[in-house]
Amino acid sequence: MCIGCHGGDGNSTNKTIPSLAGQPRQLIATQLFQFRQGNRKDPQMSPIAANLSNADMNDLAAYFATLKATPPSHRTSADNAKLGAELAKKYQCTQCHGPSLLGQQHIPRLAGQQPDYLRTQLKGFKANTRADMDGNMTSAAQALSDNDIDVLVDYLAGLTAE
Amino acid sequence: MRPAFIAAAFAAFFAASAFSQDKPAASPPPSWQQGKPSALSESTLHPFNIEMTGRSASELPIDKLKVPAGFKVQVWAEGMPGARSMALGDKGTVFVGTRQLSEVYAVTERDGKRVATVLLKGLNAPNGIVFNKGTLYIAERDRITRYDDIESRLDNAPEAKVIVDGLDPDKQPGHFWKFLAMGPDGKLYYNVGAPGNIVMPGYFQATISRVDPKTGVIETVAQGVRNSVGFDFHPKTKELWFTNHGRDWMGDDSPNDTLNRVSHKGMNFGYPFCHQGDMPDPDFGKHRSCAEFDKPTLKLGAHIAPIGMRFYTGKMFPAEYQNNIFIAMRGSWNRTEKQGYNVMRVVLDPQGKVLKYEPFLTGFLLDAKADPPMWGRPNDVMVMRDGALLVSDDQNGIIYRVSYGK
Repeated sequence: MCIGCHGGDGNSTNKTIPSLAGQPRQLIATQLFQFRQGNRKDPQMSPIAANLSNADMNDLAAYFATLKATPPSHRTSADNAKLGAELAKKYQCTQCHGPSLLGQQHIPRLAGQQPDYLRTQLKGFKANTRADMDGNMTSAAQALSDNDIDVLVDYLAGLTAE
Repeated sequence: MRPAFIAAAFAAFFAASAFSQDKPAASPPPSWQQGKPSALSESTLHPFNIEMTGRSASELPIDKLKVPAGFKVQVWAEGMPGARSMALGDKGTVFVGTRQLSEVYAVTERDGKRVATVLLKGLNAPNGIVFNKGTLYIAERDRITRYDDIESRLDNAPEAKVIVDGLDPDKQPGHFWKFLAMGPDGKLYYNVGAPGNIVMPGYFQATISRVDPKTGVIETVAQGVRNSVGFDFHPKTKELWFTNHGRDWMGDDSPNDTLNRVSHKGMNFGYPFCHQGDMPDPDFGKHRSCAEFDKPTLKLGAHIAPIGMRFYTGKMFPAEYQNNIFIAMRGSWNRTEKQGYNVMRVVLDPQGKVLKYEPFLTGFLLDAKADPPMWGRPNDVMVMRDGALLVSDDQNGIIYRVSYGK
């Protein structure tokens, strides 16, 4: 069921749907939990997660975490490649998401993620409408201008995952 | 008086924020970031999150766990994501609370098999849990409730009866989860933590209090307690002992988390002015002296996050373990090289002086320099009727049993 939208190898080809390949195991299980719990809501994901057991979530997480992230089709503009790297440092994205933005533990990989998905999440954090584990992202997103979000999205979506 | 306190707390919150460089944040950083000095703004230290869906013991290096010679440790029950504080029913039910989830579990023997089931759900950080005379009491984020005759109604739990409500009027960002214990005086003891890492607490924050379940009347038991998530009463003296978490972002080795003893009413353990009894806070401590505050009984180490503590009153362990204290360490994270993640043993003399402080259950910490450094996190300890010690692990949702002999 997952692969219909997220891609047969876990690499999404739809700009609004996240790739799961190469995401940290704990991150995937945590987000499935958030959908089942109703903390995150989505017309597609909420009903799917509602029927998953903890063991199902753990199995799915373990599986998608082992899949290889393919190089993204998104091409970052030359300006934003430089500017985005600066913003990622300025806003301390790398502190939690890791020096190469590959994610860790319950924190997602951003490198090579689908751009429209990233934009929706950042805007949701800024608007305080996207569920947040401990308030860290909601807080961090407050300082982002709409232009910052566009630059970061263009930068992150074009980063090669490995 | 109250609004001024809150305003001061929030001013401190924002002033110290690492995220306030451009414009005032509409949403403050999480409480674990609060009080981080600008010199540490590049620090990548972060708390570890639990496995929200639990993990199966079969996937974990259980064989790394070590106990002293003659003891044995084994997995006792699993499948309880976020398992934290434990309580024991008269008929043998083990009740288990959670903090990041909304569930309370019941572990029972059914048809010769041990099963963990969800007893209650939809609660608000039901971390505090105690069983007394047939009734289960639960401390949530904002209230303390009772469930009478619970062990006859495990498949159809009754509605909660509220003992006290409104314990979190300001929706405090940090340390909002509560521990709960039944005192020898028949009163329920609970903590209200400080609302952030290092902030001026409000009137009943940073305290341990007690409420009479019959009347609902609350009294303050101890003040200046940053966050205690474990306490117990000495089997002989009946005095309250508790663990307390020191502040973060003040160095790898300071301040210590502590073990404390409440020998009389009105004690103040120093927060936010003085840490570990002898270390003034760099900001709040400038114009105060540690001399005016009560001292801890034992410094436990920095950032090790002592949670559950219980006196050992069972008959299974060797006689020298009688009235020892076991302490579960759930940290550290706010430290370059990690330490802790053990269950510790404290040996006291009859006057309550510490004779020995040593590791009892170890092996959760795999690599002090790794991120994460551990595979499991001891959270609470509880003595069973047969004298075995249960240890909960909220990282994985597992309970272990430590036994002796046999």
